Amino acid sequence: MLQKFIYQEKGLFLQSLHPVASLTLIAAFFLLSLSFSHPYYLLGLLLVILLSLWAAGGLAAWEGYLKAVLWLILLIVLINALVNRSGSTILWNGPELPLFGRLPVTMEAISYGATMGVRLLNMVSAFCLFNLIVHPDRFFSLFSTVARKSVLVVTLATRLFPLLLATLERIREAQQLRGVDFSQGTLRERVMKNAAIFNTLLLSALEDSLQMAEAMQARAFGSGSRSRYRRDIFRPRDAICLAGIGLSLLVSVYSLARGMGTYTYFPELGSLQGSKISLIALAVVLLGLSVPALLNWGCKYWPYLKWKI
Amino acid sequence: MSLFTVENLTYYYPDAAVPSLHSVDLAIEEGEFLLLAGGSGSGKSSLARALTGLIPDFYGGKIGGKVSYQNRDLRSWSRRDLAREVGMVFQDPEKQLVMTGVESEVAFGLENLGLPQAEMFRRVAEVMSFLGLTALKSEFTATLSGGQKQKLALGSVLAMQPYTLILDEPTSQLNPAVAEEFFNLIKRLNEEMNLTIILVEQRLDRCFHLADRVIIMADGTIVQAGPPGETAVWLIKNGLSFVPPVAALFAHAGSTEIPLTVKEGRRLLKRILSCEKCPKEGKEPPELAQQHRPSNDNLLARDPALKANGNAIMAPGPALAQIQEETEHKNQGLVKTNKIISPHHTVVISCTENQTKKPVIEVKNLFFSYLNGRETLRGINLLVNSGEFLAILGENAAGKTTLLKQLVGLLKPSRGRVTVMGRDTRRAAAHELARHIGYLPQNPNDCLFQDTVEEELHFTLTNLNLPDEGRVDRLLGRLGLSHHRHSNPRDLSSGERQRVALAAVLVAAPQLLLLDEPTRSIDYGTKADLGSLLQEITREGSAVVTVTHDVEFAAEYVGRVVMLFDGRIAFDGPKHAALGNSMFYSPQISRLFRGIDSSVLTLREALDRLLSKLSSCS
Amino acid sequence: MAKWKAPLFFLIVIGLLAFSITTGKQVKLSWSLLAAGIVGVAIIFLYWDFEQSPVSPREISVIAVLGAVAALARVSLAALPNIQPVTFLVIVSGYVFGARTGFMVGSTAALASNFFLGQGPWTPWQMFAWGLAGASAAYFRAAVPNAGKWVLALFQFAWGYLFGCIMNVWTWTAFIYPLSWQSFLATWATSLWFDSLHALSNVFFYLIFGGGVIKILNRVKKKIEVSRLPVQDVPASNNHKLLLYKTITYSSIKGLPR
Repeated sequence: MLQKFIYQEKGLFLQSLHPVASLTLIAAFFLLSLSFSHPYYLLGLLLVILLSLWAAGGLAAWEGYLKAVLWLILLIVLINALVNRSGSTILWNGPELPLFGRLPVTMEAISYGATMGVRLLNMVSAFCLFNLIVHPDRFFSLFSTVARKSVLVVTLATRLFPLLLATLERIREAQQLRGVDFSQGTLRERVMKNAAIFNTLLLSALEDSLQMAEAMQARAFGSGSRSRYRRDIFRPRDAICLAGIGLSLLVSVYSLARGMGTYTYFPELGSLQGSKISLIALAVVLLGLSVPALLNWGCKYWPYLKWKI
Repeated sequence: MSLFTVENLTYYYPDAAVPSLHSVDLAIEEGEFLLLAGGSGSGKSSLARALTGLIPDFYGGKIGGKVSYQNRDLRSWSRRDLAREVGMVFQDPEKQLVMTGVESEVAFGLENLGLPQAEMFRRVAEVMSFLGLTALKSEFTATLSGGQKQKLALGSVLAMQPYTLILDEPTSQLNPAVAEEFFNLIKRLNEEMNLTIILVEQRLDRCFHLADRVIIMADGTIVQAGPPGETAVWLIKNGLSFVPPVAALFAHAGSTEIPLTVKEGRRLLKRILSCEKCPKEGKEPPELAQQHRPSNDNLLARDPALKANGNAIMAPGPALAQIQEETEHKNQGLVKTNKIISPHHTVVISCTENQTKKPVIEVKNLFFSYLNGRETLRGINLLVNSGEFLAILGENAAGKTTLLKQLVGLLKPSRGRVTVMGRDTRRAAAHELARHIGYLPQNPNDCLFQDTVEEELHFTLTNLNLPDEGRVDRLLGRLGLSHHRHSNPRDLSSGERQRVALAAVLVAAPQLLLLDEPTRSIDYGTKADLGSLLQEITREGSAVVTVTHDVEFAAEYVGRVVMLFDGRIAFDGPKHAALGNSMFYSPQISRLFRGIDSSVLTLREALDRLLSKLSSCS
Repeated sequence: MAKWKAPLFFLIVIGLLAFSITTGKQVKLSWSLLAAGIVGVAIIFLYWDFEQSPVSPREISVIAVLGAVAALARVSLAALPNIQPVTFLVIVSGYVFGARTGFMVGSTAALASNFFLGQGPWTPWQMFAWGLAGASAAYFRAAVPNAGKWVLALFQFAWGYLFGCIMNVWTWTAFIYPLSWQSFLATWATSLWFDSLHALSNVFFYLIFGGGVIKILNRVKKKIEVSRLPVQDVPASNNHKLLLYKTITYSSIKGLPR
C-alpha cells in the first residue's frame, strides 16, 4: 500500500525534466485552480492534469487520491448547499435550526459546492502528479542552500521511514516469540502490548540517532558554509515546457483581469456561454499547460524528438 | 616524523567514573595500515574517535594528554580542515547514511566542505566509478543491500579525499564474502593510494594479515603493539583470544614462525609434516598444548564413529565431561585461551547409547512462497532431535531467515508440514509455540525495552505464566549478569545486551532455542562464551538451531550443519562432513588441512594433529 | 536577528490583509489564497528561525527520528478514523525539548508522513498545525511549570479541537461561500465528530504512553546536554593515581616498537 504514493524512477520524459520546470508546472496547476472559479476553466484544468497523470503512468495512484478525497468533496457540497443563502433558485426549503435559522438549499449553492469540489480535486491531483514526477532528493536539493538544516531534517526523516518500518516489524515478531499474543486480551491489555512495541522502537531509534549525528559530524556537517551539489541539467525540453507554462500563466492573468476566468454564482448562475475570446483564452491556457504531457507522448513514439530536446 | 602522535591520552565519557582511555601513547606513520583490536569496552573505538577529533568534540567529557596530527594539536585544527584530512567509516551503514538517494549521499560531505560545483561533480564521478557504484546512481539508499550500503558509506567518505581513513568495525554487519571484498578494497586504498588506514576490528581472521602493525588494547590502554606475527605470539602467551585460527595454531604449537594466511600456513605445515627441520622453539612442546591432549585422544578415538554414522546425535559423554573439568581446572590461569581452544564439550556418540532422544523439529516437504510470488523454500525436509546443536549456513537470500521464521511459526507453510515440539505450526500461533521455543533475534535491541535487566526477564515469565522460583537469580548468575541486575539494558555494551536478550529467552527454559546470526557483532571472547553456553544447553537436553554466516563459529561449536542454497537443502550432516569437505564454506583450519586431513576442523583437532607429528619427528 | 523577525512577520501579514481589502473589488485576491499565504509566510519564518539557530547534528538527527517515528505511527494507524498519534507525540516532544524542536518535529512528521499517505494542499496546513502544537507545548510548560498529569491531558485534549479548527480554516476559506460565522460553525460541526475522536485519542495516548515516552525523551535530552558541557581537562597528577588503581598493569610490556 505504501509503494503506491512513493516516487518511482520509470525513466519517463516527465521525470527527466529539470525540477524547476516540473515544479513550475505543479505550481501553475495549483495556483490557477485557486484563482479560477469558472467551471469551464476548472474542468479544463482537471482535464490537463489528468492528461499529465496519464502520461506519467499514474492513473492508478490517482485513484487512491480520489478515494481519499471523495468524502471531503461531498462534505464541501453539503456545507455549501446548507449554509449558503445567497442563491435565488430554491430547490428545498431546508430544515429550521437554532442559531442558524432556516437553511434553504439552492441550485446556485449546489453548483458552487460542486465547482469547489472540482477545485479541490484539481489541487489534490496536482500533488499526485508532483509525487510521481519529482524525485524528493531533487526537490529538496533546490532548497538546500537556503534551508540546509531544515532540508536535512526532512530528508533524514524520509530516509528513516522504511528503516523504522522494518524495525517495527522485527520488534513485533520478537515480542510474539516471547509469548505476547496481540489478538488476545482486553482493549487495555492490547494497547499495553502495542505500547511496549512502540517504546522499544522509540528507544532504538533515538539511540541510533546519536550515531547518525556522529557520522554527520565526521563528514564535516556544520563546519561552515555549505555549497549545493547540482546534478540537474537544463535542456531545451525544460525551456519549451517553461515557455508553454509561462504563456498560459500570462493568458490566465489577462483573462482574470478581464473577468473571464471567474464566474457569477450568486444570486443567480451566470450564463455558461462564454464569449469567443474567452474560449480562445481558455484553449491557450490549457494548451500551454499540456506541453509537458504532449512532449512526453511525443518522445515515447518519436525518438528523434527525444534526441533533439 | 609521525602523522599522528598520541601522548599520555586519558579520556572520560561524560558522567563516567572510569576512564575509557587511559595514558595512551601512540605514534602512527604516514601510509601505515594499523589494526586496533581488543575486547568490547577495551577503548579501541574511543581511541579511533579521539584520532578523528570526535572525542571530545562530539562527546564532551574529560580529556587529558594530547593528540596531534601533522605535529599540530588536534584541538587547534578546524573541524573542516580535519574532515578533509581524516575520514571515518562507522560500524552500521544504516546509521551513517543521510540522504535518500545514492548520488546525493556521496555529495553530502562535499557540500558540507563548501566545495564548488565542478569540483564536487568530478569527485562524485571519480568515487562512483572507482567503487563501481555508477549503476546505482539514482537508486534510493533504502533499497540497497548491506554490502552496497557500506560501500556507499565508504565512497561518501572517500569523496572527501582524506589522507587517513579510520574504520570502526566496518564489516560487522556484513556477511563473510562481502566483508572480504570490503577488506580487499581497503588494502588497495592503502597500497595504491597510500592512505593511512586505522582499522578497528573484532573479527581478525580476515584482516590480521593485512595490517602492518597490530595494536591490542585492554581496559583503555595499549597492552601490545607490533607486527602481526609478533603480536600473535604475544596474544597466545598472554592468553588473549584475538588471533586468527591459523596463527593461533602455530603459536600454540610453539612455532617461532607465525603464518598469517592459509597460504603461508600450508607452506609451513607441509614442511612440518614432511619432517623437515621443525621451526619449533628449542624446548619441549609448551605446557599449554600438553594439557589439552587427554580429551583430544578421546575425541580422535571416537572420530571413526562420526564418519560411520551420518546422522549421529550429540550427547554428553560422562567420561569426557570429567576430563573436561580437569582440563578447565588446570587451565584456570589461562581462562581466555581455554575458550578459543574450545573445550570440545560435544562429542559424537552412536545412537545406541540411548539418551532421551526425541524429535523437536520435523519439517516435511516444506514449500513456501511469499505473497509477491517468490518461492523461497522448496522441498525442505529436516529432522532435529533434542540435544542437537545445528547450524544453518547459506548465502544471503538462500532462505535461511525464512526457514527460521517457519520454525517459530511466524510464517506458515504454503505446502508441506512443519511440526515443532509436536505441534503443527499451521494450527499453532507463534505466541503459543513461544512457550516451548526460545528465539533470539539478530539485533538484541529489538527485544529490550524494560527499565532493568531483571524486569526484562520477568516480562517473559509473566507472558508465559511461569513462576520465578529463583530462575531469574540462577540465570543471571550463570550468564554473569548478576551485577547488572538493576541496570538499564540500554546502558550496557552490545555483548552484554545480547546476553540479557538471551537470558530473557532462556528464563522460560525452552526445549528448543533458535538464534538468528548470534555472532554478528560480538568479539572473540563473547563469541566463545556464547558457544560454550549453547553447548551446555544442548547437553542439558535442549536443541539449539542457529542461522549463521560465521563458518568459524559453526566449525568450533555446533554438531551438525545444514546448508541452504536457493531455498533447498544442499547438504545436511555432521559438521566434519559438511565443512571438512567444503572449499568455500570452510573454516581457516580446515582450508589449511585441505587434502591433508579432512577430519581436522577445529583448532584443537589441528593442534593435536600437529603436536603428534612434531613428537613423532623428534 | 530574532528581534526584528517577529515584527517583520506581522508587517507582512498586515500587508497581505491590507492588500486583499483594498484591492478586493478589482483583482479579487481570494480569501483562500490569502489564508494559504499567511500560513505559508508563517511556516517560512519559523523555518528561517530554525535555520539561524545554533543546532547541533545531534539535535537534527533527534528531530528527524522523532518526526519519522511520528510519521510511522500516523501511517500505521491511518486506517482508523482520526485516531491520531502524531499530535500526542509532537506535544510531548515540544514539552521535553522546547518550542523550536517541537515545531520542527510536528512539521516534519506532517511532511514525511504525507510522502506515504499522499501530499496535498493540506500538507502546509498540517505542517503549520502540528508545528504549532509542538511549539505551544513548550510555552505551556513555561507558563504552567508544575502541571500535573491531568492538566497536561487537558492540554492534549484541547489540541484535538484546535488542530481541527486550523484545518477547518483551510476548507472553509478555500471551498465555502459565503465566509460567515455560520458557515464556519457548520464546517466545524461536520468535523466535530472527528475532532472529538482526535482529542480523546490524544488523551488516551498521553495517559497510556505519556509517562514512558517522556522518560525516554528525558534520557536522550540528558545525554545531549551532558555532551554539550565544556570539555574538562584531566589534571596530569590524576593520571598517576589511576595507574595504581588498575588491577592489571601491563606497563612492562607496553611501549612502541622502533
